[in-house]
Amino acid sequence: MANRTYEVMYIVDVDAGDEKIGKLNEAVGKLVEKEGGTVVRMDDIGRKRLAYPIQKKTEGYYVLFEIDGSGQEIAELERRMRVNDLIMRFITVRVDEDRKSADRKREKREKRAEKRASFRPAPAEQAAMASDARVDN
Amino acid sequence: MADKDLEILNDRDLTVGEDVIGDRPRRYQRRRPRNVIPDYVDWKDVDFLRNFIPERGKIMPRRISGISAKDQRRLAKAIKRARSMAMLPFVAD
Repeated sequence: MANRTYEVMYIVDVDAGDEKIGKLNEAVGKLVEKEGGTVVRMDDIGRKRLAYPIQKKTEGYYVLFEIDGSGQEIAELERRMRVNDLIMRFITVRVDEDRKSADRKREKREKRAEKRASFRPAPAEQAAMASDARVDN
Repeated sequence: MADKDLEILNDRDLTVGEDVIGDRPRRYQRRRPRNVIPDYVDWKDVDFLRNFIPERGKIMPRRISGISAKDQRRLAKAIKRARSMAMLPFVAD
C-alpha cells in the first residue's frame, strides 16, 4: 500500500523569471526526496497560454512532476504550494490505479484477440458458410 | 416498377401532410463512437479531449458522441481536470 504514483502539475507565474522558476522546481524535487518520495519524471512543459485568465494573467509556466511515494510527501508539498505566491494553480492526481486498470483492460483485449484468432475457421470453411447464408436469404 | 413509384409517393404524403410522426417521442439513432477511447484517458492530452468539446466549450453529451457510460465518466473527469489547470476553457465564446 505504500507505493503510489502521483502526477503533480503546477502553474508558475511567468513574471517570476526563469531563474526563480528553475530554483522552485529544484526545491520541489528536493522536498519530495526529503519526505521519502522519489521523482520519477520531471517535465518542464514551459510557457503556455491559459485557456482563461488566472490572477489577471493570460500566460503561465507549466511544470509536471511524477512522484512515487506514500502520500506523505504529497501532503507536505501541497501545503507548501498553497502558501507559495509564485504558484498560481496546482493539481495532484493519483495515477497508479487507473494505469493498472488500463493495463488489465489491454491484457484482456489481447487475450480475447488471441482466442478469437485460434477459433477462426479455415478460409475454405468460411467461404462455405458465406454461400450457405446467401441461400438462406 | 409502377408500384414502387406509387409507394414512394404515398410515403412522402404521409410525412408532409399528417403529423403522425410528431406525436411520438423523438428517438435518437444510436451512433457508433467516432473516436476510440484509450484504456487510460490522460487529462493532459488536450488535443484528444478537444474532440469531445464543441465550440461552446461544453462536454459533448453521450447521445452525440456515442461512447459508453463508463468512458463518458472517465472522459468528463479528465476534461474537468484539464479545465481546472486552464488547459481547456470552462466557457468559450
